[in-house]
Amino acid sequence: MLPLLPLHIVVVIPVIAGAAGYFLPRNAYHRLLFLVNVGIVVAAIAIFAEVRWGGEIVQYMAEWPRWIAIKLVADVYSAPLVLLTAVFFAGTFLFSTRAEYLDKTFLFLFVLLESALIGMFLSGDIFNIYVLVELGMIIIAILIMYKQDKQSVYDAMLYLMMNFIAMAFMLLGIGYLYRITGVLDLAALHERLPLLDDPRAVIVPYAMIMTAIAVKAALFPLFSWLPRAHGAPSAPAIVSAVLSGVQVKAGVYLLVRISATFSPVIDAAPFFMILGFITSVIGFLLAIAQKDIKLILAYHTVSQVGLIVMGLHLGSDVAFWGGMYHIINHALFKGLLFLTAGIIIEQYGTRSYAEIRGVLRHMPAIGIGTLAGVLGITGAPFFNGSISKYFIQQGLQGDLGGLGMLLINFGTTLSFVKYSLILFGKPNAPKPLTRDPWVAVISLLFGLACLAGGVLGGPTVALVYGPQYSAAGALGAQKLLTFFLTLAVAVATYFFVVKRIGGFLTMIRNFKFSFNQITVFMTLFFVGLLGYAWWFV
Amino acid sequence: MAFINQLQISDLAVGLFFLGLYGAMSQRNIIKTIMSVGIMDIGAITFFMMANYPEGAKPPISSTPVEYMADPVPQALMITAIVIGVSVIAMCLAMYMRVAYRYGTADWKILIRRLEK
Repeated sequence: MLPLLPLHIVVVIPVIAGAAGYFLPRNAYHRLLFLVNVGIVVAAIAIFAEVRWGGEIVQYMAEWPRWIAIKLVADVYSAPLVLLTAVFFAGTFLFSTRAEYLDKTFLFLFVLLESALIGMFLSGDIFNIYVLVELGMIIIAILIMYKQDKQSVYDAMLYLMMNFIAMAFMLLGIGYLYRITGVLDLAALHERLPLLDDPRAVIVPYAMIMTAIAVKAALFPLFSWLPRAHGAPSAPAIVSAVLSGVQVKAGVYLLVRISATFSPVIDAAPFFMILGFITSVIGFLLAIAQKDIKLILAYHTVSQVGLIVMGLHLGSDVAFWGGMYHIINHALFKGLLFLTAGIIIEQYGTRSYAEIRGVLRHMPAIGIGTLAGVLGITGAPFFNGSISKYFIQQGLQGDLGGLGMLLINFGTTLSFVKYSLILFGKPNAPKPLTRDPWVAVISLLFGLACLAGGVLGGPTVALVYGPQYSAAGALGAQKLLTFFLTLAVAVATYFFVVKRIGGFLTMIRNFKFSFNQITVFMTLFFVGLLGYAWWFV
Repeated sequence: MAFINQLQISDLAVGLFFLGLYGAMSQRNIIKTIMSVGIMDIGAITFFMMANYPEGAKPPISSTPVEYMADPVPQALMITAIVIGVSVIAMCLAMYMRVAYRYGTADWKILIRRLEK
């Protein structure tokens, strides 16, 4: 059907507005970009509604014929993510109206990142995806080191070089694909790949592109860039929130998209399912070892992305949509936690979890927001995390799967028992300065969204993606019992085990891989995926 | 040595890519790793340029007859990739200068030890 408004509008408007308004004074520029973001939210809602009730929108740029033109696609996977990105950026703009570090260059780069992300979600052409991912990579590297203090330049350099190697892999893979099929359009690739004489010819490009995407999605053992980038000591709170909330999801989204393109020839779902599980376990183990509250959150993102990837590749529909729903949920609660963590760090002047106490009494709005985020992420009843985890759990088969899920839940709860210690106790910071009221409003709104996503879990999934599943089981007596038992065991484990192995945790915390080792891991991942695909095709 | 004569530019490009990857895995000097990463990128770009290249094809400029034309798509795409590659390498070098001034080393391993103090 004919689209109501051209798709490329939402991609180019942020860039054009950012460039055209650059001469304005800083506050006016900030306001202009916020208004533009509100407009994009409206446009994204229109696109979402059209896709949801009218079917997918396909647009060929510049009136070139099919398969030659650059294609934009809005379908049931990408439209909700575009909406999520737009809402997220509008929220962070409102959140940061009085932040001093935001000068005009920063704001311009920030809207450019929004364009790159939305473009990535809408792109139906693999080379276009490559270019937009590279654009996002460069902008993120600049944003990480924006304040240039502590080791942020090192973090940004490691991030940039590691991702650049990954993108070189992707470029070679795309070249290979183009050589054997002659097209770059994802839909056309999907049609042509099964027609090849020798399906094994696809294995090498597949492994190359997937290695790059696994780096983007931060899968084990390629996640070491993520905590550095997301928890970088100097990165502003809104950058961390956007990176963890939306940008990692772009990697997961590409994983789904490109896997679907290659699905007639290669099916590596078991490989990614097991990898997702390992990522999830390693992520929370490392999160428990951290002292810095932002690093706890950042390692936790690794763990949750592992859970999402696991859910997406379990091979059951419920778990797949559970994983898709968890993408949105994780964006909400992790974005909220990063935003509030930024305010807490600013207020207390420290990043160590041991030195922050009494947030709930000191700054009630921020404290309640943090609490809502923690409840969401641990999958407490009535919060959104419980619904998506419940759906993922339904896709698991056998006792082993159930045990694995229990382990992940336990680890999540354990690391957040540690994190939520900062909420209680006697406040040990000076009286809060008069703050921007929007900070509290946004925190509470995100917290409310976490609650709403849980209370209305089943209907939300039906509204956003279409399939109807009952989420009533998530509030069943057995689930409640499991949750509170897990919580009790986690609290006990924290006070009787984790607190006594401080030396061991310090060792884990201080252990870092050098650039060369990371590159070796990347090569090993490539060889491993190549071997897997070779064996099973 | 007959196989050497049969090697095509795209084979050499793949070789260059993996040579760069080897450099990035084995070199501890930051400048050398940046160079290796650049070589990887150039290898991938050269490979892409030679995709679907018929023997003796001419550059796709307006006066070339269509039947002798090389495939114009890779050439158009690779201009973008080259620009991206150059800018990323430039950024890496700029960051390297910052890091080198701050920590006084050009070695990844020593650099890690000097962080966190």
